[in-house]
Amino acid sequence: MKIVVCFKVVPDDQDISIKPDRTLDYSKARPIVSTYDLNAMEALAQFACEDGITYSALTVGAPDIDDSKMKKNVLSRGPEALYMVLDEALAGADTHQTAQVLAAAAKKIGADLIVCGDGSADVYAAQAGVQLGEILGAATVNAVSSFSLEGDRLVVERTLEDETETLQLTLPAVVSVASDIAPSRICSMKEILAAGKKPVEIWSLSDIAASVPAATLAVTDVLAPEPAPRRHEMYTDSDADIASFAKKLSEVLV
Amino acid sequence: MKVLVLAERAKAIRELCAGARGLGDVELVALTSAQVVTGVADKVFSVSLPEGVMMEDSLDTLLPLIAAEKPDAFFVEPTKRLKLLAGRLAARLGASGVTDILSVADDASVSAMYFGGLARKNVKASGPLAILYIGAGVFSDAIPSGTDTVVPVDFVAGESKVTRRSVAPIVKSGVDLTAAKRVVGIGRGLAAEADLEMINEFASVIDAEVGCTRPITEAEHWLPKETYIGVSGLILTPDVYVAIGISGQTQHTVGIDRSKTIFAINKDKNAPIFAYADYGIVADLYKVVPKLVEGLK
Repeated sequence: MKIVVCFKVVPDDQDISIKPDRTLDYSKARPIVSTYDLNAMEALAQFACEDGITYSALTVGAPDIDDSKMKKNVLSRGPEALYMVLDEALAGADTHQTAQVLAAAAKKIGADLIVCGDGSADVYAAQAGVQLGEILGAATVNAVSSFSLEGDRLVVERTLEDETETLQLTLPAVVSVASDIAPSRICSMKEILAAGKKPVEIWSLSDIAASVPAATLAVTDVLAPEPAPRRHEMYTDSDADIASFAKKLSEVLV
Repeated sequence: MKVLVLAERAKAIRELCAGARGLGDVELVALTSAQVVTGVADKVFSVSLPEGVMMEDSLDTLLPLIAAEKPDAFFVEPTKRLKLLAGRLAARLGASGVTDILSVADDASVSAMYFGGLARKNVKASGPLAILYIGAGVFSDAIPSGTDTVVPVDFVAGESKVTRRSVAPIVKSGVDLTAAKRVVGIGRGLAAEADLEMINEFASVIDAEVGCTRPITEAEHWLPKETYIGVSGLILTPDVYVAIGISGQTQHTVGIDRSKTIFAINKDKNAPIFAYADYGIVADLYKVVPKLVEGLK
């Protein structure tokens, strides 16, 4: 059985700054694994650990996501190998484009079970996994809070807004897991050293017989919002100031 | 323009239909009898979902409907079930959905959050259908209207690869922060779970509900998940918001920035929360909160 965890590489939002014209400056932001995908990686690491099975990791994106620290980080978390599909046409790809290319790569790998994270740090659409599953004709669910194998069936717990449910999926299956499924690990030195010896396979679009379909979303501009105008009245912890602060609060309560 | 609306809950159905009315013709898809809401749309396509079938499996019912009706936009409530269903529809249609929408223009282009609210992007769907996931609050001022012709639609079964074994309701705290006029938010500044008692007392004095930042629910489990305010949680618009021990990362502030008046209590004078506050107090919350309780009682 072949198992794959998909992840997205995004600029580290801690280092994205806002320029005076309110556009975003990514120049200091290194490519990192999108936060919630680390939870998917951990969930799969725990699943594989119990059953003694192996799996690989897969990402697609523009060539600038190819970062040695990022690759080591991924391989420290349990996968046996890392596959990356790199092409300039994947810069800023929408979920349709991403899912199409992921599907082609997943077919080449021959994945029976694909685990995706909740949503990406940049767009947080939580759609690529769902679209990937449908393209592959696989059993597809989101909001998964645990999963296990029972023979040739995958049994998942799903946590929705008002209810939980237990589902049984045929394989192949694509599951998008909730971010609280498993806290991401702090990798040990042993895991980090072992990561350096694991294979990284870099594919072009032609390697996986894929092309990037036309974009389905047109993004016209990306700007940091002007903060809502506020009064910014500041008080200290003196008794008089606390009393004034309380008075302001009581005034808006009426 | 013709807008097709799909939502699970009555409140969202009314709100999305009201917003859709601002763009033109409104057609509602009801996958269950509970989703048949009258007086909000021109047509209600009422699907007779067979017993035991998950609404996520109504893909082969909706595809012909979309092909026949040719809507210009598809407004979808961003629940987990509908994000699965509409995401699968998007894959079949060759489209992408837009999520975390802040506003919708007359041409169905939208402003949506990027990097958890760090920025906003203007997006227009150029694919076969504009699939827009629209949450509570975007159209809260709009008023729905319609003559509601109910059109029965036969369920078309597809190949089912997912079988439901069981379903159980989640026992909730009963708090609906989205409806609260006053909200107290707590963050990492709170040292211990027992200190919630002090916060609850303060909240009851000002007649507010209590919400929190992500770590308080996800790492500490001090408050239920449905009280988490911010990206991928609640986006609130209360009259009064009081941030206690909250540093003010964008991931949280995006959920409170549309509050009418914001108060902030934090001992760090450089905490970003003060940039979002009308009234800020640089002080130890354990000193200030009891005094506020005393003063406001």
